[in-house]
Amino acid sequence: MVLEKINDLAIEDKESIMSTEIGSSSSNQRLSIEPDEDGAEITCFSEEVRDVTLHFQIIRLQKQIYAWIGCNSAKIGHIYAAAFTRPSNSVSITSILGGSSDNTGSSIARRLVMKTGLNIVLACNIPKNSPMLEADAELILVKKLISLGYTRAKPQLPPTP
Amino acid sequence: MEAPSTRFPVSHKKLSLNIKGNETTLVICGYDDHILVMVSQIGSMGTILHARKEEGISLLPTFNVSVIFGKRDEPMLVACARQLIEQISSSGSTRPLVLSLGLKDHSAETLRGIVASVIENRIW
Repeated sequence: MVLEKINDLAIEDKESIMSTEIGSSSSNQRLSIEPDEDGAEITCFSEEVRDVTLHFQIIRLQKQIYAWIGCNSAKIGHIYAAAFTRPSNSVSITSILGGSSDNTGSSIARRLVMKTGLNIVLACNIPKNSPMLEADAELILVKKLISLGYTRAKPQLPPTP
Repeated sequence: MEAPSTRFPVSHKKLSLNIKGNETTLVICGYDDHILVMVSQIGSMGTILHARKEEGISLLPTFNVSVIFGKRDEPMLVACARQLIEQISSSGSTRPLVLSLGLKDHSAETLRGIVASVIENRIW
């Protein structure tokens, strides 16, 4: 795919964007990917799950990934940042926006980091008390991140002297 | 061409710029209740700010701008967010702004360039 040059503009509804429609009996996806070697790679798709439409937006930067999960709406929801942190390489997570008593999405962010090894900022508007929906959304997102080739190995601890 | 009902609900624009010799990626996303602007020169989101217009009885609008993740000692980043939320508000949109700035330099020239580019490619 020919990459965008500097100062080129990419708009979602322009013909230059590659789009693929995937249909099946249990899900309905529209996948749109805008590749860019040096900048951001944006992937947008939707899927019908449990009578609900889940929207996914993945923006991949070189060292970090921003992901948004929308449940039937296009509100941004709560935002969390999660990553492996020194010294023990455990996953740390913090709420950036929203997420006081309702921390729906925080566990998704934590497990995304554990399963993919990536530095993640996750925005999620899945309503609270919907554990099955959270689990489905997480599964779909992890599969997509793996299929896009974004995952990397968990950082190794330095050898103890 | 796809039917309007299958259109992705979040619109976005992505562009690459060169600001003072630094390759800069700019992504602008329009959610129902927020506008997300992501500016990156370092391969990550960097400092994240939140800016909103405050409801009040005064004729003159007031804005609340705060760093919600990252550097809290860079006033130019806050100024950049303030300029953008003022622009968004004066255009008639009531949506708050989430702005991420992952920059190599925090000079006024860089931030002016970013503000100009965002306004030129606005989606509100």
